[in-house]
Amino acid sequence: MTLEVNNVTSGYVKEVSILQDVSVVAKDGALTAIIGPNGAGKSTLLKTIYGYLRPTRGDVLHHGQSIKGLKPDQMLGQGIAHLIQGHSVFPAMTVEENLELGGWIIKHDRTALNGALDEVYQNYPLLKHRRKIMAGALSGGEQRTLEIARLTMTQPRTILIDEPSVGLMPKLVDTVYEEIVKLRDLGYTILIVDQKVHKAVDVADYIYVLRLGQNSHHGPKNEFVDTIEDIIREWI
Amino acid sequence: MELSIFIQLVVLGLVRGSMYALMGVGLSLIFGIMEIVNFAHGELFMIGCYLMYFVAAMLGLPFPLGILASGIGLLIVGVILEKGLISTLRKKAGREWLMDSFVLTIGLMVIFQNLALIIFGGVQRGIPNLVFGRIVLGDVVFIYDHMVILGFALLTVGLLWYFIKYTSMGKAIRATSQHSEAAQTLGIDINQMYAIAFGIGAALAGIAGALLITLFPANPNAGMGPVLKSFVVVILGGLGNIKGATAAGILVGLLEAFALFFLAGGWQNVIVFSIVIAVLIFKPAGLFARAGERA
Repeated sequence: MTLEVNNVTSGYVKEVSILQDVSVVAKDGALTAIIGPNGAGKSTLLKTIYGYLRPTRGDVLHHGQSIKGLKPDQMLGQGIAHLIQGHSVFPAMTVEENLELGGWIIKHDRTALNGALDEVYQNYPLLKHRRKIMAGALSGGEQRTLEIARLTMTQPRTILIDEPSVGLMPKLVDTVYEEIVKLRDLGYTILIVDQKVHKAVDVADYIYVLRLGQNSHHGPKNEFVDTIEDIIREWI
Repeated sequence: MELSIFIQLVVLGLVRGSMYALMGVGLSLIFGIMEIVNFAHGELFMIGCYLMYFVAAMLGLPFPLGILASGIGLLIVGVILEKGLISTLRKKAGREWLMDSFVLTIGLMVIFQNLALIIFGGVQRGIPNLVFGRIVLGDVVFIYDHMVILGFALLTVGLLWYFIKYTSMGKAIRATSQHSEAAQTLGIDINQMYAIAFGIGAALAGIAGALLITLFPANPNAGMGPVLKSFVVVILGGLGNIKGATAAGILVGLLEAFALFFLAGGWQNVIVFSIVIAVLIFKPAGLFARAGERA
């Protein structure tokens, strides 16, 4: 059990709870997808896990330790990284500077930082090639690769991914998902939210369906293969 | 034009320009990272004047200590202002932030001016010179004070440039200005970066105030002229563009020096503000803007 969301109730203002009594578990080394129609509370759930929102009830555990009440900038120190929605490179900084900032929390350990940089360059040779180029000059797909590679600089245990395909052309969506599967194969635990349900279900090991801020269905992917179309039809 | 006059004007222009650059870079840094138009920037300059006067004239200590005191003093003032007022307001205001920051910094400007008036009175407190004397090379006169101003201003801008470009803290500040949410997910405490950036911007204004004590004596309104020029510099250089603000500061200084020599007094402002209007119309991102780049 890497990441556990236990009976969480949460929202943007006190009186209105977007999530009600939601529980999700992201298992070690697996890719867990959260799907659901618009307004199901998927993004709210990620925001609550990552400390942008504080649950009014329930708890969030990472490797058995409560991370409730920690701020977003403390999460990476707890081994949880977050790929936010939309572009998130620092456009007027070089690829290498972007990666170095990915290692901000280990910046005092120059050897570890250089080691992490070498490893990223090994896993993403393209970035090594382009390390002196401004990140803003990379193509859209390359920027996503940089964003994903940057997350691995401190070797977190868990990575939260919010709508990775938003604003990308279909061809790039496939590339991004290949990168995400690669992360899972490198041993990272992944919790992903995406509107592109089929794509997410395709790569997932385990699936949660949220509806109107509550748990609806969940189970390993093979249990979903036959029923997924019915579930999606229900939303419409 | 004789070469000696040309060189003389370039020297004078660089002196003026270096101080415009100091002011403009501070203002631009603050805007680039926090999107605050700091109307109280001139008053930070004014506090720097008073600190310099206190250390160098009243305590009689060597003037570099006065410059240091102004820099450190304003760094502290800046961090306190940011942590105490600006960040509190930013968290409350949300999207209304830009308008609220106008009201806040204009309020600060009025408060600082009146505090200075109550505490120090309307008297001008200047220092006749930091280093007395001049040297004449050929027909060109180098006033030592001008060389001091130019030297310290270039040193300060150089140090800032190094800090922003090469240190990890500087990189984190740039990252925060380019994408604050992404910076936060990488473990960067963005509120701390805002406070440091505002403190550094304030320190630059303070150092400018200290350096110019021989030209602008400390008084409650000492900052009003310089702040106007620093807005000019920021508009010409491009909002949030540090390199641009440095270049624009020097450019404005040179323009003014030549205009003052060849035209009647007052024309320098007509020329500079005409250029500002032209830039706002034809190149609103600033003279030195490159696509997508900041800082």
